[in-house]
Amino acid sequence: MGGEGWLFLFAVLMAAVLLFTMVFFIIMFSDLECDYINPIDLCNKLNQFVLPEMIAHAFLTLLFLLSGQWLAFILNAPLVAFNVNKIMSKNHMYDATEIFRTLSGHKKESFIKLGFYLVSFFYYLYRMILALISGTSLRWLISLWSTLTASRE
Amino acid sequence: MSQPAMLPQGWEARWDHQSQQYVYIDQSTGRSQWEVPTQPSYPSNGVSAPSAPPAAPAPAPSSRPGRRQYPTAQIQQMYGGSGGGAGGYDQQSQQLPLMSNYPDQQQQQQPMAPQFFTPGIQDNTPHQGYPQQAGGPQQGYPGQQPQQQPLPPQQGGWQGQPPLQQGGGMDQMANQFQQMNMGQQPPNQAYGNQKQMHSMQTVNLIGMQPDVRGLEAPPPPFLIPQNAAVTQSPHSQPDPSYQRCTITSMPTTQSLLNKSKLPLALVIAPYRSIRPSDGDMEVPVVEDSVIARCRRCRAYINPFVTFIEGGNRWKCCMCGLSNEVPQLFDWDQREGKPADRWSRKELNHAVVEFIAPTEYMVRPPQPPVYAFCIDVSQQAIQSGMVATAARTILESLDTIPNADKRTKVAIIAVSSSLHFFSLTPGATEASMLVVSDLTDVFLPKPSDILVNLDESRAALESLLGRLSDMFADSHVVGTAMGSALTAAHQLIGKYGGKIIALTASLPTIGEGALKARDDPKLLGTNKESTLLNAANSFYKSFAIECSKQQVTVDMFLFSSSYTDVASLSCLPRYTAGQTYLYPGFNASKPEDAIKFATEFGKLLAMPIGLEAVIRVRATRGIRLSAFHGNFFTRSTDLLALPTVSQDQNYVIELQLEDDLKGPFVVIQTAVLHTTCYGERRIRVITHAMPVTDSIAELYASADQVAIMTYLTNKAVEKAMSSSLEDGRNLVTNNLSTMLTVYKNQVTSAAGASAQLAVPDNLKLLPLLACGLVKHVGLREGTNMSPDLRAYAHCLLTTLPSDSLVSYIHPRFYCLHNMPAEAGTIGEHGVILPPALNLTSERLERHGLFLIEDGQQMFLWVGHEAVPRLIQDVFDLPSYAELQGGKYTLPELDNPFSQRVNAIVAKTRELRRGIYRPHLYVVKSDAEPALRSWALSLLVEDRMDKMSSYAQYLTTVKNKVNGS
Repeated sequence: MGGEGWLFLFAVLMAAVLLFTMVFFIIMFSDLECDYINPIDLCNKLNQFVLPEMIAHAFLTLLFLLSGQWLAFILNAPLVAFNVNKIMSKNHMYDATEIFRTLSGHKKESFIKLGFYLVSFFYYLYRMILALISGTSLRWLISLWSTLTASRE
Repeated sequence: MSQPAMLPQGWEARWDHQSQQYVYIDQSTGRSQWEVPTQPSYPSNGVSAPSAPPAAPAPAPSSRPGRRQYPTAQIQQMYGGSGGGAGGYDQQSQQLPLMSNYPDQQQQQQPMAPQFFTPGIQDNTPHQGYPQQAGGPQQGYPGQQPQQQPLPPQQGGWQGQPPLQQGGGMDQMANQFQQMNMGQQPPNQAYGNQKQMHSMQTVNLIGMQPDVRGLEAPPPPFLIPQNAAVTQSPHSQPDPSYQRCTITSMPTTQSLLNKSKLPLALVIAPYRSIRPSDGDMEVPVVEDSVIARCRRCRAYINPFVTFIEGGNRWKCCMCGLSNEVPQLFDWDQREGKPADRWSRKELNHAVVEFIAPTEYMVRPPQPPVYAFCIDVSQQAIQSGMVATAARTILESLDTIPNADKRTKVAIIAVSSSLHFFSLTPGATEASMLVVSDLTDVFLPKPSDILVNLDESRAALESLLGRLSDMFADSHVVGTAMGSALTAAHQLIGKYGGKIIALTASLPTIGEGALKARDDPKLLGTNKESTLLNAANSFYKSFAIECSKQQVTVDMFLFSSSYTDVASLSCLPRYTAGQTYLYPGFNASKPEDAIKFATEFGKLLAMPIGLEAVIRVRATRGIRLSAFHGNFFTRSTDLLALPTVSQDQNYVIELQLEDDLKGPFVVIQTAVLHTTCYGERRIRVITHAMPVTDSIAELYASADQVAIMTYLTNKAVEKAMSSSLEDGRNLVTNNLSTMLTVYKNQVTSAAGASAQLAVPDNLKLLPLLACGLVKHVGLREGTNMSPDLRAYAHCLLTTLPSDSLVSYIHPRFYCLHNMPAEAGTIGEHGVILPPALNLTSERLERHGLFLIEDGQQMFLWVGHEAVPRLIQDVFDLPSYAELQGGKYTLPELDNPFSQRVNAIVAKTRELRRGIYRPHLYVVKSDAEPALRSWALSLLVEDRMDKMSSYAQYLTTVKNKVNGS
């Protein structure tokens, strides 16, 4: 299995993890609406996951960029930009005082992300299978390695 | 209460609480009389228009929807078919066996025999005075009105109409037609089936001077069916100061609401103060802890439930579930004998308090706890704040709620380090403990720092007496207020209670340190709103911690420079406290010291509710969608308030999830709290409002003051989250979409028109909107300090509706030629002069005027004022000698001075709340800053870039016309 195959296998796993994070977010939001959890606990819990989720996604996107997977990169870039913008304007964390006012927006955002991760999950799966079928390409693996080391220096 | 409609043009009816009848006021002359006016009155300036301008005709009678179906069923139940009124008695007593136990009651008047309906005695009911029954109210109290000609009793509700018809006008014609139709029905049926409608009048605003006296008018009444309440108590609907709604009738569907563009929101002030001088009634208390609640929706029993199965069960008015009536419901526990169910307070009063049993307690009732964090930096000592505050606390030690001797007090002085005071019970001296580690505050001897007020009284008094002197040579600049608050929170967290922080400088040290971030370059730009939000997250996360532990923070800010009110006010906002700002405080000025001492003293003496939650329940189909006010939203419908302060306002937006089927809906607010006397109580406020499917009726029942309260909250929220301009636009756009729908759907006028048609009950909404967009909190301009703006936002979102109206639209009086009776003691205290329109056209060069908005008062002195006037009011020889600025009027021995002083004193007492407005003397030709401040309150005028009222109306009109 070549580098492309490994890359997309990793991407599939990542997408699955992100998918579950989003499902978790959505479940927590519905819990809040049903009054099973209070907003303070909710925000404390969710805020632990906000940055890891964004970092994981950004890391995946970076991998696509470095490996020259342009289509996958372009697919992911807007979400990275959206996340970066949120962090820059300092409203990426959930605020317990505002949560009820903004709940519908958060839910909508989580659903859109969920859909996005789902689509990308299947896309990565497809690409992985494609890569497995077409067999390994040693040349490509070397080029990936050299770009990775070059970027490190 | 409803007022009689169909008065002749130019007359206004006002309910007089003392004499329990309407007084009729001629709006052009201000003359009042008890008799129903018959002749229209026109202002002498000739601006008045006929009641219905041709371009915007009143809705034709045919546009009114047909009679409602539902009452027929109830009427039939009441009368047992179509029988007459007399037959109803027998039928009724058979249906309700419980009633027949008390046959003597049937001989008596309404309150005792609730569910009966008799046309002859209906005038005692609270529902009198529907538009079509103008004569009703006077009839109810013939004994009290010897001067009133008793009207001949008639069948149905039409008494008193003929004399009122002389006013003429299209609307009245329309009503006459309606009456004729109605009159052909059998009287009883006509009455019961009649759809109660608000009278709809269209007013044109362009070219008219608004009548500012209409601002105090009561909102349109809730026209619920006559027999909706089980008792005919006059108190079955709450006073609008407790609870009111932007529309007093509920649309049947959300799509109708969306189509009408009217906002649907509830405005509540459940813990509003009780002022006997205003005729406020004490809240009745149900003492026997029999609390009947619906099993499913947990609603409390209220006047709008129905008793079924012979009175053994009651049907919830919100979810329709049938519940068992508690066994002790008809039992008087104190006397030990059966009690009359119909005299129970919860069935007679819309506002009622239950004493809650232990199931409603998480822990035993907590004592009231007050922790004072007092800034003792150099600035604070020099301004005299510390001395004044200490003296006020000392004087208030007796008035702090402490009925059961459990109240606890702690005092922390803050500069760059924290100074705790060990007040050992019984000791006469306090010893100071200094902690300079600000990151992880250590509390030395917590049990001696937070002490029982009574036990440590001596030490406390000696400490307060010399607090200011102890730090007299302090040279510290800036405080560690954040750390002090954290320490105070640790100290009282076990009990919950109130932290009162007093600071005269920016907290620049320790936790939650703030920077002077008021960059003047940001003012007037879109980034200005960042200055109106908290600078760092400490103030939000700490507020949440406080709310969790039932701690409220009140902020008193005394800045001479920037103190970042926006960040500091975050704590009161989420902990249900309040922010108070005293810009440029200097205790050496007696006015400053008196103002602060009065307000602080009143705050300390205020009875507070502790550990409170507010929950609003409504008939199924209604959903609460958003909340505004000072509290923490703990779940989708539960508001957490560590302490409830008096006279705070909350706004709750409503949505309709399902179509409403019933004839009326019920909305109930419940405040579970511990009183400062250690009792767990539930205050329940219930109101019922009718359901309608007509847009015209929605507009006719809109409450302009409640709508304005809602818009103010929305605009402030928008200004903070987006930009001030968006906040202003929100107000104007909301107003113009409402008026567009009104024009197109209700008046059905097509195309552009030169008129701006508004319903009569909303005719002052554009004026209030104009006032709001020019208010300090939202005003356009680059010279507004962010502190003043942030403080204005605090007030705009918490003031109760009636104070809010005058805060947005100040009152303006002419004092130099006021009517002879103004300023003298009348039936209801001091008589105020008639309010004027807020335009500088009214200012005269030789005059004396008073402008007040509940927070400030400006005494405007014209530069050609005659020396006699200056002599009489200020005791000075001439205008030139007079100094502008904060002023205390001398009490002189001449009638004019006494009257002016009486008016000033009355104005200070006029509104609920602890505020004592400053009195500024403004000379018309001096001190441009003060002068323009005073003039900026005249909102009908053009001011810098901001348009005048007439221009604002034109803008709105253009938007309505779609250009």
